Amino acid sequence: MTERYRQYFEEMPCYLSVHDPSFRIIDGNQRFRQDFGERVGDFCYRVYKGRDEVCDNCPVAATFATGESHASEQTLINLRGEQMPVMVHTTPVRNDGGEVVAVMEMHTDIRVAKRLQDQLRRSQEKLSQLFEEVPCYISVQGPDRVILHANRKFRETFGPALGEHCYRVYKHRDEQCLYCPSQQAFKDGSVQRHEEVVTSAWGEKINVLCTTAPIRNAAGETEAVIEMSTDITEIRKLQSQLTSIGLLVGSISHGIKGLLTGLDGGIYMVNSGFEKNRPERVTQGWEMVQRNVERIRSMVLDILYYAKDRELEVADIDAGKLAAEITESFQKRATDQSVELSLALDGDVRLVPGDAKAVRAMLVNLIENSLDACRADGHKPAHRVRFAVRRSPPWMEFEVEDNGIGMDQETREKIFSLFFSSKGISGTGLGLFISNKIADKHGGGIEVDSEPGRGTRFVVRLPLEARPSTHPEPVPPADAVATH
Amino acid sequence: MDARRVLIVDDDPDIVVYLTSFLEDNGYETRAAADGADALAVVAEFRPDAVLTDVLLPGRSGLDLLVTLRHDRRTADLAVVVMTGMDQVLQDDGHSYLTSHADIRGPDAVIGKPIDPHDLLEVLERVCALSPVPAR
Repeated sequence: MTERYRQYFEEMPCYLSVHDPSFRIIDGNQRFRQDFGERVGDFCYRVYKGRDEVCDNCPVAATFATGESHASEQTLINLRGEQMPVMVHTTPVRNDGGEVVAVMEMHTDIRVAKRLQDQLRRSQEKLSQLFEEVPCYISVQGPDRVILHANRKFRETFGPALGEHCYRVYKHRDEQCLYCPSQQAFKDGSVQRHEEVVTSAWGEKINVLCTTAPIRNAAGETEAVIEMSTDITEIRKLQSQLTSIGLLVGSISHGIKGLLTGLDGGIYMVNSGFEKNRPERVTQGWEMVQRNVERIRSMVLDILYYAKDRELEVADIDAGKLAAEITESFQKRATDQSVELSLALDGDVRLVPGDAKAVRAMLVNLIENSLDACRADGHKPAHRVRFAVRRSPPWMEFEVEDNGIGMDQETREKIFSLFFSSKGISGTGLGLFISNKIADKHGGGIEVDSEPGRGTRFVVRLPLEARPSTHPEPVPPADAVATH
Repeated sequence: MDARRVLIVDDDPDIVVYLTSFLEDNGYETRAAADGADALAVVAEFRPDAVLTDVLLPGRSGLDLLVTLRHDRRTADLAVVVMTGMDQVLQDDGHSYLTSHADIRGPDAVIGKPIDPHDLLEVLERVCALSPVPAR
């Protein structure tokens, strides 16, 4: 070796050593001597690793065997006993005849790289842990809307979603949603924020605030979209309750003003009847006063029922007896209004489990509605309200049918909304909402069939076997509540 | 001079009885309608000097009735008095509804429920005085 090459060999910023076929070190550079000592003549496995025999997968042995260079990662132990991760490269040293007579080994200290690698692994683990544990639903979707990754909360709520289309997982749909924020993010790379109602694996509706953002590759192209949804169901419920309270106050005020007008009317009729000596006017006025006082009483009870969302006190109710009592209590009012009120009891009507007070309030409300509908209808010569109770397993059916003013489709669809009233000034908009709530709480429901001018038929179905409500409390969007 | 005619539009029969008796006691001739469709039929036949309508009616609302009357050349100048217990409706929904029909004249007067009888007589006297006497 010329002196110059010897100098290069010595100065190389790595450990260089030359090994003979029996794994003895026959030469070493300055850094080798510095960190491993004057060890020429000793076995490499002893020098580098403190071992008594050749290492498994020895790169020097491989180079002797194949005549080719080899690379591997190893851990050496230096003079001070420190472990040093290194990258090992070997290369054959040949004689003039081309035989491999020795192998040169170069060890590059990769402690820094190793440290960075460890840091990277730890950050990846941390990132993955964060992704998994974030208390939001996170998913990553490909351009075909297939879910590529999903975090724990997402999987727990929507099921093992990987490989499924987002619209199927989130909304149980068979086709893409009309507005797809993910598609928008793919299209223009924008961050999208919007509100959605999604459905969990077990059918629960969840209000979410959803943010989507593009994930770009090195070329800046959107490869996937990350979607993060926060559950805001509780907030929406609260908001809905607050809106309801606001509307309730407005509705009460509206209702009271109407009833006061009716009372004023009654008082006027009584006073002017006395002044003009017209007894029939006094009678008419007094009836108006009584009717409007009754309406105020009914409205206050409705409000109290609404304000106090009490639990049902379920016991066996004698449906026939209850229906007969209610019919009896309305007979006078019906006669006064010239409405024929009848009750038909199926022979088999017996007990039904329910909260007697609530069921009574619900049926009273439906009959009041029917009487009001007859009163508001001036087109027919005679009006009737038919109340029927029958056993139709698995239900007990209560039917209230009138030939009053009837309802159009729009009205029919809205009647069970809070504060919707088709009765103008005389309705509080609470009655049917509460009736529907009572039927639902019993695990039953109310069906309505109506046509303008022809009349209305309500059928309440209560289960013969007690069971809880099957409908989770819906959270209507803010604009779904009718105000008039 | 003939008595002034007022059409009362309200779906609450008690209020109709009250207003009918009160206005007739005060020299008005009245007719009543329970909803907007009825009201239009009565207007054509009865030819009132003023329409006194509630806002919340079954079917078409009192404001809808107002817009329909104003759009018809024959009834465009008819005095319309709106009465309501839901002031907020008139301020919010009612205002935006009427704004969406900016080409028409709004109600001639608005009366809150419960109705002050003196106010009602004053308002009717004023709007009937301004209203052209319909050909009968």
